[in-house]
Amino acid sequence: MLGLETFAFAQPWLLLALVGLPALWFLLRVTPPAPKSIRFPAIRLLTGLTPPEETPQRTPLWLLLLRMLAVALLILGLAGPVLHPAGQLSGSGPLVLVIDDGWAAAGTWEERQRAMETLIDRAAREERRVILMTTARERPDEPLTASNPLRPDAALERVRAIQPKPWPSDLDAAQAVAAEIGVTGSAHVIWLSDGLAAPGTRELAATLQRLGRLSVLHAGAGRAASIVLPPENTGTDVRVTVQRPDSRGAKSVTVLAEGEDGRLVGTAPARVEAGETAATASFELPLQLRNRIARVRIEGARHAGAVALLDERWQRRPVGLVSDSPLEAAQPLLSELYYLERALKPYAEISRGTLDDLLKRDLAVLVLADRGKLSPEQREAVSRWVENGGLLLRFAGPKLAQDLSGDGITAGEGAQPPLLPVRLRRGGRALGGTMSWDTPATLAPFGDDSPFAGLEIPSDITVSRQVLAEPSLELGGKTWARLADGTPLVTAGERGDGWLVLVHTTANTSWSNLSLSGLFVRMLRRVVTVSEGLSGAADDQPALPPQRVLDGFGRLTEPGAGVRTLPAEALRDHLVSAGNPPGLYGRDGQRRAHNLGPMVAPSLAPLDDLPPGVTAGAFAMQPETRIGPWLLATALVLMLVDMLIALGLRGLLPTPRRGGAAGTTAATMLIFTACMLAWPGGAKAQGDDEFALKATLDTRLAYIETGVAEADRITRQGLTGISRVLARRSAVEPEPPLGVDLLSDEIAFFPLLYWSISPEQPDLPPAGVRKINHFLGHGGTLLIDLREAGGGSSLFGQGTPATQALRRLTRDIDIPPLTPVDPEHVLTKAFYLLQDFPGRYAGGALWVEDTATAPGDGVASVMITANDWVGAWAVDESGQPRLPVVPGGERQREIAYRVGVNVVMYALTGNYKADQVHVPAILERLGQ
Amino acid sequence: MATPALTARQRAEQLAATLPPLLLAAERVATTVAQGVHGRRRVGQGETFWQYRDYQPGDPPPSIDWRQSAKSDRVFVRQLEWEAAQSVWMWRDASASMTWRSNRNLPTKRERAELLMLALMVLMVRAGEHVTLLGTGMPPAAGRGTLGRLSEALTREGTGDSDLPPPEPLPRAAQVVLFGDFLAPLESVERCLRDFAERGVSGHLVQVLDPAEETLPYEGRVRFEGLEGEQPWLLSRVEGVRGAYRRRLRAQEEGIAAIARRTGWSCTWHRTDRPPQTALLAIYGALTAFMQR
Repeated sequence: MLGLETFAFAQPWLLLALVGLPALWFLLRVTPPAPKSIRFPAIRLLTGLTPPEETPQRTPLWLLLLRMLAVALLILGLAGPVLHPAGQLSGSGPLVLVIDDGWAAAGTWEERQRAMETLIDRAAREERRVILMTTARERPDEPLTASNPLRPDAALERVRAIQPKPWPSDLDAAQAVAAEIGVTGSAHVIWLSDGLAAPGTRELAATLQRLGRLSVLHAGAGRAASIVLPPENTGTDVRVTVQRPDSRGAKSVTVLAEGEDGRLVGTAPARVEAGETAATASFELPLQLRNRIARVRIEGARHAGAVALLDERWQRRPVGLVSDSPLEAAQPLLSELYYLERALKPYAEISRGTLDDLLKRDLAVLVLADRGKLSPEQREAVSRWVENGGLLLRFAGPKLAQDLSGDGITAGEGAQPPLLPVRLRRGGRALGGTMSWDTPATLAPFGDDSPFAGLEIPSDITVSRQVLAEPSLELGGKTWARLADGTPLVTAGERGDGWLVLVHTTANTSWSNLSLSGLFVRMLRRVVTVSEGLSGAADDQPALPPQRVLDGFGRLTEPGAGVRTLPAEALRDHLVSAGNPPGLYGRDGQRRAHNLGPMVAPSLAPLDDLPPGVTAGAFAMQPETRIGPWLLATALVLMLVDMLIALGLRGLLPTPRRGGAAGTTAATMLIFTACMLAWPGGAKAQGDDEFALKATLDTRLAYIETGVAEADRITRQGLTGISRVLARRSAVEPEPPLGVDLLSDEIAFFPLLYWSISPEQPDLPPAGVRKINHFLGHGGTLLIDLREAGGGSSLFGQGTPATQALRRLTRDIDIPPLTPVDPEHVLTKAFYLLQDFPGRYAGGALWVEDTATAPGDGVASVMITANDWVGAWAVDESGQPRLPVVPGGERQREIAYRVGVNVVMYALTGNYKADQVHVPAILERLGQ
Repeated sequence: MATPALTARQRAEQLAATLPPLLLAAERVATTVAQGVHGRRRVGQGETFWQYRDYQPGDPPPSIDWRQSAKSDRVFVRQLEWEAAQSVWMWRDASASMTWRSNRNLPTKRERAELLMLALMVLMVRAGEHVTLLGTGMPPAAGRGTLGRLSEALTREGTGDSDLPPPEPLPRAAQVVLFGDFLAPLESVERCLRDFAERGVSGHLVQVLDPAEETLPYEGRVRFEGLEGEQPWLLSRVEGVRGAYRRRLRAQEEGIAAIARRTGWSCTWHRTDRPPQTALLAIYGALTAFMQR
């Protein structure tokens, strides 16, 4: 160490190099700058000429000073100057570093690590050994250990590798380990505490004191970790409790609700008043959003206690619709389940199935629409399910009414109580039928104690039939909704832990139009809210396997090797340990959240119980600042400046007047390149958009890039040629054609896609095949050209190389049934009247989709030719044809162009021309 | 369409608009069958009357001049003078040393050479002469389509490496116009011109130079580098050699002029900072038939 109180050099001996500066001065002085460099065409005339005299060149003084300064800065920087070097360690023995790495330390982990590094740096400077010890277990079966006295650099490596754990520290075990540490001389002991009271704090401190002077460092007053508790299930909104260890001063936090994918679902503020330790944040969210919440966390806090995971118990209520009649699918509008499903879908998870199947699943609500009798076993099972906390929602209807009138529910079911909340009278009541004087009844406002309280009743809801309850004393208390004349419409009764709810009319429209109204949706939603959540899921299930667990920083990760299955009692009592870190346990669809919050909440308190003689304080101290890198950076900049000057002296830099624009361009390019490198995704997306705009803003022909350069070139030139012809002769004015890469480009934009088959083309990627199939299925037209003289007479036979390639390439493509084009086909009259379809070759057949049998708009989705149309159309830049036509004649080329016009017209206008043949007949009929 | 070719052609047309069509001074016309304005003083295809002669069996009946035949008992056939077009092969130096300018405000030597060449082509085509480019293999032709094709070919052609035109079999009495900086050693220039002259091809040289090549305006310690892979040359004080350089350049120019004189060619000088009209006028003067008559 060299220097003053606030300034020191790490490697002072490097300063000796400054002595060498004068020698450098001399060397630089005699080396002249490099000459200007000029390109000159008439150099042959210059070669051999020499000027009469040559004066020696010297480096200018200011440049010399600049270079000396750069070198001096370089030497100073390498010598490692340090601002604010830390103080001395006490004692003579090693430095003992006790590190709390339980959950509460994670929130300030980076500061902790900096503090540890500073301390170890200090030990390194004083050449002390370091003993490291952590207080949280690494794995469930590994005991805590203290390290041997380490060299500071080894200690630094270890310290950097320590990660905070999501479970609490075990100070009792740490005390036992600390008692085993043996040091020579008196150590300096530093305990980086998490700042929370924990059992064994005092004992550990006392044990550590025996080794030497003990300082306890923590994050500072009011910065100990706050926790969030999982929300209570109140039904309407999500309430989350936030708790902090100390009660000094008011503190505001924001609680975030996140979805499964980490997306933010909602935020809620919570303010802990001075003197309080807990506060509540409540999220008011629509149910759909509420169901998406997968976890809540305290904003900005990065530790396992700041995250509360939610499982299915907080999410959408699963509703089972009993459906065992296959007839329901045939006439959906008459089916009760249709209305129920539509009404429940927005906020409940619906499963349909037979009663037996449904009872095997986890359900909150079971809906029984009007249906016949249940077998005694089924009644027994449903009854047990309800008593365990399920909600059975029944609807009345003709079958229920018939049961009542026979010896059904009320009388004939022996000892079993009926699965109804109230006793029903025999027969129903019809209102406003053809044989009745009454008008259909309307609904009375809901009572205040009804779960439906507050729902607005549309005036046009009428009920024309219902089943009636036997009057009884308790009927009023069991009625949730009634008609205007006071007869109950919805009754409910508790049975065991569950509910029985009966709607006295049907779930379809045969007895009432209630199921058509929005009220029905809202009523069902309230009913589902009443349910207790999952029912039937037993608590005495076996231990749950870990699925995703939190790490020390509160992030969900895959469980490591040390994570064990979660026994039921650990789940019930919220026991978080190294073997069972907080996280999600169980199997898919039946996960349980295991949270840290409920375990630590009761004992959350600040650290205060320390023995006398211990100095406590915050570890945030004035850090050492190394100014070496800054000096080195300055030296580097100076050297760059020197280089620029040298270039300028040699004439290699553009002068400002001439090079301004170039310089700006270069800088822009540089920044742009940097941006592109930084956001490759963005560039890609932009490219996609650009392609989409290009493809959609103008009509364009397109072709599939086959990867065979020559074929692609001909295709592009051919489409260019036909585009020009189209623009000249028809109302279609296409822009230059586009090649599409099946892997990366979207092909849905193009009405017509040209594909030149060549035997060299590699097989299509699966994604490309999918794209083409989608394209064909959604109205696109694919034009395949075999480009082979005389080919295509039989497409899928053994055939020629081109047909073999065709078969290979279209193996996975849904090619519809094809037929040779007939003389009356629309293609023969879409624009020009044509008899045959020659291209570069004449005589090959043209195959089109057999549109007579195909559904759709009557445009063939696939055309296959062998005549090499693009070959005939292809033109070079000056508009001259590129390839000769065979057997020849410009007449054939002209016909080929006409074929192209017809094909494009056909693809663009569809069966318009086919319909036009009927115009004379229609006109004639109109005239009559 | 290629836009640069179009604009270059438009500029050339604009430049040529100030001059009348260029009818070449051609005493002997290249042996082509193309019809043109150069009378060959022989019977053949053409428009002007040449002679009457007696009808002989085998002559096509439409060639009989009935008016003349009616004056006597004999039957006359009217014959016309063979009028042929002169064919001109053009060439410009496309080597790297031509794509150079000393100042951003000036055109490169190549640009200026191409502009002059196109303007010349425009003028010739207007007079019905047939033109083409040396080395492209296109046959000489007249007509506006020709101009388009030639200007496209000009823009398509990249940087070549030859300072002098490649030897190519040309018909006798063809004409050649060469544009370039002609800084190559005098011997090779002479060999090239002699090759042409031996085949009876006459021609014209247009030397296009940048002003900096003439004045050598640099100062101080400079290392000069060539554009075509020549050895660099370091000068400690450029101003010290300026006079010597100018003398060498003048010797080169005079050498070129002497070679041209010996082979019966003509030659014109042009600097890129001068307006192209002057150069065009000078070339026009050197080539035109009217001025010599």
